[in-house]
Amino acid sequence: MSPTPPDGAPLPPAIEVAALRRTYDVKPRPVVALDGVDLEVAPGEFFGLLGPNGAGKTTLIKILTTLLLPSAGTARIFGFDVATDTRRIRRIMNMVAGGEQSGYGILTVREQLWMFSQFYGLGTREGWRRVDALVEAVGLGEQRLQRVSTLSTGQRQKMNMARGLLNDPWILFLDEPTLGLDVSAARSIREQVLAWKAEIPGRTVLLTTHYMAEADELCERIAIVDRGRILAIGTPAELKRRVQRDSIFRLAVDRLDGGPAALARLPGVVSAALASDHAPDAQHVAVNLVLREDAALGGVVTALARMGSQIRSLGKSEPTLEDVFVALVGRGLADEADDTAPLPPSEADDDLAAAHAPSHDAEAGR
Amino acid sequence: MAVTAGGIGDSRRVEGLGLADTARHAWAALLLGWRVESNWADPVLFAIYTVIRPVSSMLLLTMMVAIVGGSADASSRTFVILGSALWAMLVSGLAGPAWSVLEDRERYRTLKYLYTSGATLLVLLVGRGGSRLLIGAMGSLVAILVAVALLGLRIDPAAVDWPLLLAAMLLGLPPVLALGIGLAAVCLQTRQESWNYPDAFSGAMFLVSGVVFPLAVLPRPLEALGLLNPVTWWVAGVRRAIIPGGPSSIGGAGSLWTAVTGTDAPGPAVILGALFLTGAVTTLVATALFRGSERRARDQGLLDRTTGS
Repeated sequence: MSPTPPDGAPLPPAIEVAALRRTYDVKPRPVVALDGVDLEVAPGEFFGLLGPNGAGKTTLIKILTTLLLPSAGTARIFGFDVATDTRRIRRIMNMVAGGEQSGYGILTVREQLWMFSQFYGLGTREGWRRVDALVEAVGLGEQRLQRVSTLSTGQRQKMNMARGLLNDPWILFLDEPTLGLDVSAARSIREQVLAWKAEIPGRTVLLTTHYMAEADELCERIAIVDRGRILAIGTPAELKRRVQRDSIFRLAVDRLDGGPAALARLPGVVSAALASDHAPDAQHVAVNLVLREDAALGGVVTALARMGSQIRSLGKSEPTLEDVFVALVGRGLADEADDTAPLPPSEADDDLAAAHAPSHDAEAGR
Repeated sequence: MAVTAGGIGDSRRVEGLGLADTARHAWAALLLGWRVESNWADPVLFAIYTVIRPVSSMLLLTMMVAIVGGSADASSRTFVILGSALWAMLVSGLAGPAWSVLEDRERYRTLKYLYTSGATLLVLLVGRGGSRLLIGAMGSLVAILVAVALLGLRIDPAAVDWPLLLAAMLLGLPPVLALGIGLAAVCLQTRQESWNYPDAFSGAMFLVSGVVFPLAVLPRPLEALGLLNPVTWWVAGVRRAIIPGGPSSIGGAGSLWTAVTGTDAPGPAVILGALFLTGAVTTLVATALFRGSERRARDQGLLDRTTGS
């Protein structure tokens, strides 16, 4: 069921982005974090931005949540311009970021959430009522009178999630919400988001993640982002069909001199990338191989023997979002550390901007 | 209407902020500041920052005056005691908004959530600064009580000019907070080293506010700067109200004030008028500075920048 505003008029897109560009003026040269992004998300959609660290996902979320101004282009949230209609946008959206320890440690969970309820404009009593309901909903009932500083990482993120729902947003921005959480806590966060969204038609979620399985599980549509550009948009099934015509194998070898790049150069190999679940300290090297046809496998096996690698396991697999990502980007998420290709001057990302920004690590004091 | 009322697309949800919303935001920020800054959970910390520090400063300055001044009379001592006691409040008001920016951004990592909450950042910082001002006022009060008990400070409640004291406080505290907002505007642009800015700025203000010595002892340009400083008039007003007829930091032999006006010291009406004028200008300039800084911070992506604290 699609949402309809009280006056019956059709709703504008939840997110409408056109030719969005963001440059950071850092030395030695400006860094382009977003390079002409076009995107439209309908009300009620669960939309995912999938990409490696530094792809530009967080920059896009910062612009959409009015934390950052775009350098060029336009972005609208339910028809409101992020550059000029900030007050309206802030009343209908909220955001939750992962991988951070935010909060006033001296306050209790209840106090902290109530303070925010006041900043979101709820009345005193309504604030308490809503805080108590959300604390229970996210499973922090037992910790509600506990100081924020005593919460575990997972509990803090649950509290953060409750804060993100306090103002009952029309659109919720989730920036890597399960980053750094254990399996159980991450599942709990995902379930909360899904349950919240299902309650009322029209609630929209924009999720950024570099966890392929999370994007696959949650998102109705996904945009694959790399180096400030959207490379592909579609449902998970549509995206997977893009590589359906190729043969996909999962290969494990005892060692791989030259890394996956050594395989990617072989005839008939579309791409080769370390599997995202590959552990650096594992006793074998796990590689996802995309071949033009099954026959190319013979050449790969021969090459491996020549390189002195022993095959531990080899199996054909159904395409995953990871395969789509590798096919589009030319490398896997786990390959980032090995990615030695220099970035063109016009392509850059958040990490680059951060790396170029001066750092001051002196201990704060007063 | 309640912020959560109305379905998706209900235009009532995006109506502008009313006065009640702004008041709620300021009040919540004040409460938040009180809970966070007052360190109630750690009485030792609270005592150090709120009581021991201002009392120690006051005792130190009074001893210095006694030693250096030798025969300094009781009125000179009273002048220093009141000035240094008020200083605790002033420093808190100046530092409050700036430290709120730094703490919320670097330590608590909440500034981005506050900024996107719908509340106006300026209002939130005024609320947070207000809580520090209250805490500073407690320190000032304790320092004055200590001075009465230990240093022989005599305050006759019947002689206090209460209307002047009230007016000086009402007119003086907004520009003190405004100076703090101006400092917050600077800290919004800078990084961790700006933890020291409030203390550095307070030190500079100490020189040109007539807190422990009359402005007349300063070089003329600094004396003129002191006369344009609302803090000077605030301190002078409070002093005049508590100890009517006591020495003034503004006029006197050889002072710029006396040279220009031909009067020995400004009267209560002049003090309040000057406080109002300099305070209004300071508040307008600080607000404009903060708006510009906020805009630049959003443009440069500084609102959620952390530098590793």
